[in-house]
Amino acid sequence: MITVTIDGMQVVLQKPVTILEAARQLGIVIPTLCNHESLEPYGGCRLCLVEIEKTPRLQTACTQYVDDGMVIYTGSQAVIEARRSVLEFLLINHPLDCPVCDKAGQCELQDAVAKYGAPAGRFIEDKRNVPENFEDPLIVRNMQRCISCARCIRMCDGVQGASAICMVNRSGKTRVEPFSGGRFDCEYCGNCLTVCPVGALLSKDNRHAYRPWMIDNTVTSVCPFCGVGCCLNIQIRDNAIVRVVPQGSGVGKSLLCNRGRFGCDVVKSSNRLTSPLIRTGEGLRNVTWDEAIGFVVERLVGIKQRYGGTTIGGIASGRCSNEDNYAFQKFFRSALDSNNIDSAAGLSYGPVRRFLEGAIGRACAANDMERISRSRAVLVIGEDPTSVNPVLGLQIRAASRKGIPVITIGHMPGLRLYQAIKLTARPSAETILLRALVSALKTSTEPAGSNSVLDDALRSVRHVSLKEAESMCGISQRRLDEAIVALVGAKDVSIIIGTHLVRREDGHLNLLMIACLAYLLQGRIFIMSESPNDYGLFDMGCHPYALLGAMPSRTGLGVMEMIDAAVSGGLKALYVMGDDIFSVLPDKEHVKAALSALQLLVVQDSFLTETAGMADVVLPVPFWAEQEGSFTNLESKTRQFGKALQGPGKEGWRIISEISKGLGYYMNYNDAAQVRAEIESTASLQKVGADDERARILCAPSELDYQPHEDDGKIVALVDFPLLGQSPEYGCSPTLKLVTREPYVRLGTTLAGHLSIEDGDEVSVSSDMGTLRLHAVIDADLPGSTVMIPRSTGDKGILTLMKWRMNQVTKCPVFDKTEVVISKIPGNQEP
Amino acid sequence: MTTREIIERAFFLDILRGLALTLKMFFKRSVTRQYPDEKRPPEPGFRGLHALARKGDGTARCVGCGLCVAVCPSQCIHLYTTDGPNHEKIVERYEIEVLKCLFCSLCVEACPFQAVVLTEQYECADFTKDALYMTRDRLLTNWDNYMTEDKGKVYFDHFWKPKNSDFSSPDNQAGSDPETVR
Repeated sequence: MITVTIDGMQVVLQKPVTILEAARQLGIVIPTLCNHESLEPYGGCRLCLVEIEKTPRLQTACTQYVDDGMVIYTGSQAVIEARRSVLEFLLINHPLDCPVCDKAGQCELQDAVAKYGAPAGRFIEDKRNVPENFEDPLIVRNMQRCISCARCIRMCDGVQGASAICMVNRSGKTRVEPFSGGRFDCEYCGNCLTVCPVGALLSKDNRHAYRPWMIDNTVTSVCPFCGVGCCLNIQIRDNAIVRVVPQGSGVGKSLLCNRGRFGCDVVKSSNRLTSPLIRTGEGLRNVTWDEAIGFVVERLVGIKQRYGGTTIGGIASGRCSNEDNYAFQKFFRSALDSNNIDSAAGLSYGPVRRFLEGAIGRACAANDMERISRSRAVLVIGEDPTSVNPVLGLQIRAASRKGIPVITIGHMPGLRLYQAIKLTARPSAETILLRALVSALKTSTEPAGSNSVLDDALRSVRHVSLKEAESMCGISQRRLDEAIVALVGAKDVSIIIGTHLVRREDGHLNLLMIACLAYLLQGRIFIMSESPNDYGLFDMGCHPYALLGAMPSRTGLGVMEMIDAAVSGGLKALYVMGDDIFSVLPDKEHVKAALSALQLLVVQDSFLTETAGMADVVLPVPFWAEQEGSFTNLESKTRQFGKALQGPGKEGWRIISEISKGLGYYMNYNDAAQVRAEIESTASLQKVGADDERARILCAPSELDYQPHEDDGKIVALVDFPLLGQSPEYGCSPTLKLVTREPYVRLGTTLAGHLSIEDGDEVSVSSDMGTLRLHAVIDADLPGSTVMIPRSTGDKGILTLMKWRMNQVTKCPVFDKTEVVISKIPGNQEP
Repeated sequence: MTTREIIERAFFLDILRGLALTLKMFFKRSVTRQYPDEKRPPEPGFRGLHALARKGDGTARCVGCGLCVAVCPSQCIHLYTTDGPNHEKIVERYEIEVLKCLFCSLCVEACPFQAVVLTEQYECADFTKDALYMTRDRLLTNWDNYMTEDKGKVYFDHFWKPKNSDFSSPDNQAGSDPETVR
């Protein structure tokens, strides 16, 4: 117990905290500039000086911890004078250009000077003159205004882990510069903008555009760009988004990533749909809502009566809200009698979620993200979390910073500085690696619970020794041993699973091994998800195997099966909601053939995508910020987002209920809250506990043997997930386009040396399916025979090179073994 | 009814008293001003129609800081700024809804550049509401029309400039002599 007296008030504390924190508990405000809740104490600005009895000098409240019996004064004459002097010193060089500075009104220095500063400055000398720097496309640096509090640097180094900026020069000439010089070479998370107390670092896209008091409304929302679902506030002026700021609490706290912060202008995209369209002879024509819905109803009724409901398929989307997805699957299952519902998430997220929940138990992935940085070991499997789910990736970086071992399986450039033990196997050898880990852990740990299915699997899995693993995966025994020691010793392991590991030929085995690892280690599972509502999508029953809340149903067609059925004539109509299927499915020609063969293609989207361009009917829906709804993030937290703007179109659930009404099945919803209420009342039927049957599919005994993999020297292309690469939202957001990397191919050093390719060279990458011209990026960490190409929209991405097969166990397409030939294009042939 | 009241009513005494007052006024000088033939000169410091002040070179003084928008109690000022070609702050739209304004002059007090002013013009009546929705161009025209010659300077010196020397700032910064400010 520590008793402290601050300004005559006593506070009793359980553990030592800083004076600043103790004062905050008493409601006493001590002004600060360099202190920030998400950063470590620094004591740089000296504004928080307080007087402590029996201490000769004033002390900084943000770094000084309280001690029993301490008597502190925060408002004595000495403190007031010290504050005034500190502010006067800061204003020696800080310009008084508040009328044109965008920070005015939300500037911490301005507030501090107004409250604690001197009425006039006494310095008559010239201020330093540092010109504003506009070289960067997103961030403007005005170092004249910088007060050297180092918040941005501490954020970049200590929280974001990008380490892109530093202080240069000394004393009065100190300023913040990126290591790369003019333009930032960083992750563009923009978290330095959040923490900058003055107008030294400002965003370029809303420069000089608004004042904080001109904001009409602030709407609490959820980020729509990945499965983390960071809590953010949208600031609105005149039915337009001024900017997006983190909420400071909830998921993500005060952190955002590049997509969340800068991607919101996708709402203003020129690609937006404004009115319903129907295909006529000369193309898509604007029609009224009644006409469009009447057309869809008429055609659906015709197809249903003639061929039956099972010839109609629906593709839902993790980009749509729970309400939309619920109404969508209800419409299909009840009004159309069809169970053919799937989504792009069904390609990899679906199988992972379904089988892990089957093997381990429902909601096994419903874990709190913040626990990652407090676990004893972190195991990351699959793709790079810092680019798929950036804010989740920050938790892993935070864990690593605390000295927690981070073991990575797969190529993760974003964790390059943060991985203690790196296990990068050749693509087809990952299953051997996982098996070797399971074999070793099986002998050294006893699983805490009992799970009959996984116990059986563990008994029957063939032992792979570390020596075998070394020869087949190319990872040294010593390193494997380190990983096993780190995992065995830890009682509290977080396992972060990238979903693309199931797109391998041995995808189902990878999954089973991951389930065994999670079972042996009693790990907390996190499944990375690319779309904001992948978790909710499955809870709502938008997949062909189960209803809302995983109630079993008759099995319908999965997304790839629907495409095949459309080509063969088994599927007559397809209803695509909220996704551009061309940007997620491989083999474009095949998909194109499938969509052309359909009698009816309905696309319900906010943007005129490639898929919408082929549709018979296009129904515009408002985009995320323009409607109310809820997303369920990868931690299984469902949060509502409010309507911030007026947008074109009708809400997805409203369109669906109108079509459903035409088909004679009434879904009477007036607003999203009514849909939500229905979901809540139905979701109580959720099934709990492990589903043995689903797990048993995975471990049919014949599957448990393995094929030895030899390095045959062929180059295999894999999907890359660049943080600043092209993805649908990048294609539409003008701001993000500015920092998007050109399409590239990532090569290992040895391969590049062998082909005499240097960084930045233009190369041609060809497979059986086609050829791409890309820029080469050399990456020392990539294993020899692997290249990585991002999955981008348009014709530049890896999807144009890929063929696929079905994995019969998981029912998801297998993308591996895309063998490519790479050759350098000589410089003089460049166009 | 008392005797006194009966007499008052019988001899119409109230009416006679009134007529006596009328007769008295008949010989006094008239106080009614014959507006619009005869216009009342505004007193110095009058708060009339709004204007946006010009600098010596003819450009607008307003930098778009938005303090007038913040302080306006009837929220009748609308300001839209944007980033210019040389990264300067550009005032795209500066609009005042005169019909909403209560001529309190807080905007004039708040303005650090003395850019928004109230002129001596008080004849604001018009046939349409649109005529009283002042855009930036019309506000600048108001300055040209109603703040001719040295009138602006007189107003700056006597009414609009911060009076207390505590509020003055070093050169080249907000609040100093408006002619030298960018």
